[in-house]
Amino acid sequence: MNRPPAFARWLLERVVPNHLHDALIGDLEERYATICATKGIPAANRWFWRETCCSPRTRLTATPAQRVSRSNNGDSFMSALQSDLRFAWRMLMRRPAFTSLAVFTLALGIGATTAIFSAVNPILFESLPYPNANRIMMIWEGTDPSDKNDLGYSTYADILEKNRSFSSMAAMASSSGTLTGKGEPQFLEGERVTPSFFRVLGVAPALGRAFRDEENVQGSQRVIILTNALWRNRFGGDSRIIGTPITMMENDFTVVGVMPATFENVLSPTAQYYVPLRYEVSLPQACRSCRHLRVVALRKSTVTITQARSDLGRIAQNMGSDFPKDYSNLAFMAPKLGDDIVTGVRPALLAVLGAVALVLLVACLNVMNLLLARGAQREGEFAMRAALGAGRARIVRQLLSESFLLALLGGAAGVAVAFAGVRILVALSPSTLPRLAAIRIEGSVLAFALALTTVVGVIFGLVPALQAARGNLHDSIRRNTRRSAATSRFTRSTLVVTEVALAIVLLVGSGLLFRSMEQLFAVNPGFDSTNLLTLQIQGGGGRLRNETLVGAFMAEALKNVRAQPGVEAAAMTSQLPLSTDFDRYGVHFETQPKFNPEDDKGGFRYAVSDQYFETMKIPLVSGRYFAASDAAKAPLVAIINQSFARSRFGEVSPVGQRIKIGGLNGPWREIVGVVGDVKQISLASGEVEAVYLPEVQWQFVDYAMTLVVRSRSSLNTLVPELRNAIWTADKDQPIIRIATANELMAERAAERTFALVLFEGFALVSLVLAAAGIYGVLSGTVTERNRELGVRAALGATGRDQIVMVLRQGMALTVVGVLVGLGAAFASSRVLLTMLYNVSPVDPATYAGVTAALFVVALLACWIPARRASQTSPLEALKAE
Amino acid sequence: MDKNLGELEQLVLFALLRLGDDAYGVTVHQEILERTGRTMSFATIYTTLSRLESKGMVDSFVGDPTPERGGRAKKHFAMTSNGKLALQQSVRALRSMSRGLDTKWGTP
Repeated sequence: MNRPPAFARWLLERVVPNHLHDALIGDLEERYATICATKGIPAANRWFWRETCCSPRTRLTATPAQRVSRSNNGDSFMSALQSDLRFAWRMLMRRPAFTSLAVFTLALGIGATTAIFSAVNPILFESLPYPNANRIMMIWEGTDPSDKNDLGYSTYADILEKNRSFSSMAAMASSSGTLTGKGEPQFLEGERVTPSFFRVLGVAPALGRAFRDEENVQGSQRVIILTNALWRNRFGGDSRIIGTPITMMENDFTVVGVMPATFENVLSPTAQYYVPLRYEVSLPQACRSCRHLRVVALRKSTVTITQARSDLGRIAQNMGSDFPKDYSNLAFMAPKLGDDIVTGVRPALLAVLGAVALVLLVACLNVMNLLLARGAQREGEFAMRAALGAGRARIVRQLLSESFLLALLGGAAGVAVAFAGVRILVALSPSTLPRLAAIRIEGSVLAFALALTTVVGVIFGLVPALQAARGNLHDSIRRNTRRSAATSRFTRSTLVVTEVALAIVLLVGSGLLFRSMEQLFAVNPGFDSTNLLTLQIQGGGGRLRNETLVGAFMAEALKNVRAQPGVEAAAMTSQLPLSTDFDRYGVHFETQPKFNPEDDKGGFRYAVSDQYFETMKIPLVSGRYFAASDAAKAPLVAIINQSFARSRFGEVSPVGQRIKIGGLNGPWREIVGVVGDVKQISLASGEVEAVYLPEVQWQFVDYAMTLVVRSRSSLNTLVPELRNAIWTADKDQPIIRIATANELMAERAAERTFALVLFEGFALVSLVLAAAGIYGVLSGTVTERNRELGVRAALGATGRDQIVMVLRQGMALTVVGVLVGLGAAFASSRVLLTMLYNVSPVDPATYAGVTAALFVVALLACWIPARRASQTSPLEALKAE
Repeated sequence: MDKNLGELEQLVLFALLRLGDDAYGVTVHQEILERTGRTMSFATIYTTLSRLESKGMVDSFVGDPTPERGGRAKKHFAMTSNGKLALQQSVRALRSMSRGLDTKWGTP
């Protein structure tokens, strides 16, 4: 059965009085079904919206009981208010053009602000959805928030034992695997956690139970907890799943719990399952320098944040002196979880919030301007009302009712704009934005919109209302209304200057962001990104029970891919540049031993197949690329990047030197070449050290490898060909993360793109509003000075003179606005600093470009009233008097 | 109490008289549409019915919920004797006012 539009139904539920709910909404749904069947869904939807718009009328009729009680009370304030609102409604309806322009402007301002608030609210202002969210803290190694390190398991275990501040503490690491068994193999992302993880967050599974401590030891039975989404989508929401085994990679896991649907894991939003970490301090991967665990802790309610941090400081000092070989200058950082997850995006979000507030301000100023212009035209009416006995307060109240009603209509339309805006926002959001799932229009957001509407209605209605009721009303009855309002002209000019200034601030912001993006995309990623396709293959599970079989599968898949006619070259790598891959190892140079080997700066490790550099077109600086002869049993070789070579050897060639990778117990490898630098984290990040090894010479087989393919033909038609080629090797292996290299580059710049798109939108809106403001003021002036223009024309002023006069007035406003705006932009553009790349916040080109653009738009806005002024006929003007 | 009827009130009361036990929002809307070609919004119909109810000319009672209405109950309406009287008076007034006017305005 077809359902009426959800938003219309939502509105109906709120508008129709309770005693008519079932009757009226039920009737509308019944009739909707009939129209659907006879005239089709679009016609039915249109009809339903029309009915929804009419439905507020039912509020005007009170029930019999209400009617009696009201007539007894004789509530004069309420009835005066009602009559004010009714009158205001009639006045607004009489000028549909004015009303719709004002409502549209306010809807844009309120809608955009509400939408941005709904996105920013859960991220910056709301507390996280955990019972003791304020007491949950992250623990990192390091002193600089921009360079925080994970912890080794032994470090975690020491803090757990020695701290006096935390009631529970958990360590976690990411995990992934392929679910096999019934249905198609499915690649899943998950999290390995200590059993205390759920205690720290204060959440429990909705079905089954959390992990037990005995399940966290090596050799115990493997158990798994599923997220609600995975349980519903993969297992049909069957509650009998508890206690049954499922197969992931080659192991059986018993399902012991299913998380509630409301559970939101802000620490790893994409995790679909949880398994115990199963670490002990004796394991090699539990060493102090094996920094790959994130640690989260719940502070005791009796301990303050400062106490907890100084407790960690004490532990760090002791650990540093106990294990000098493992740490140098050990320190811990312990931010609150809520602060930790937003560190990266906070500046961008605050800037966007500030920008949207400016847009709202411009919108309000514009409506205020419209109200002032209207007030000037209605001066005669107010004078008449005053003559008939209306006090000044009464007239102010009447005008406030009008502006309030306007704001209310704007607010209602604004909520609709916000609903659409939130969808666009979520679609535009970079994947790094935390709490994306929590972005929606809900009670607190609607309350915000309502508060905004009220403030806008009262504050921005007050100035025009006071202005209109000011002065001698009795005098003005004798005056012609068209000639009045010199004072209001000054106020309106001030408003236009402010609008222009605000528009400049927004335009400069978006201009700077735009220039940054230009600079960013001009950065050389270190490889040729044209016609390059990347996709990740997950080996393991099914028949691939061991490393040898996985390695053989990868080799066969690569061979099949290379045989495709559309493929020019293909290779594999364990780590893809500009992806989220982050695989760093310590690198030790034979000729340059350091005092503390743990301090040896790490480098990104790439285990690559032959022809990797040729496929990616990474330039060779010295030495040679890997060759087919660098086989598993051949002498061990490595290639390092230019930055690494330069930082260690200066201008001397490192070819022939030996290195060890990942611990001092490993074998020596000879450097056979130096290649150009490749951007790994993002285009904006600095050069980082990297070391490349032939995949067959690395100590283990990577279960996830990325295939890079240089194509001869269109990349779209290539994907199915490649899929078939890989699945010919083994049809059970999932293929994920298919993207072109250009898409990867865009994805890494997503946060900047997000801010840029929003700023551009806001700047455009404010520019249009400012132009409308200039046009409004000049157009009003031309009308008001009709007589003067007529006299000037009679005295011999040419059309050209008239045009110049009006243009001069308009451009004077613009020049003042631009000067104020440039000053404000200069002072405020520093908030964008973290989002700018290779562009100074006071970039002269941007400021000049923006100023020029604004002048052009302002000139266009002045032109129409100026033309009208030039066409004033002296006879007509004087006759009209 | 105001016993005079507006045009909408007359139309709605006529519809109730014709529909008898089956009078509720949808059927009233349909009846008026079929007989007069006028599309009234449901909000208008309910506003009129509420006004007639407060004048004591219409009674209402709630029926059973049905699935095609999204599980919502119908509100049935019936004319009271006051309503019938007011409608009769109204029709009588119209008739007496229009009697003998055929020659003046031509046959409609």
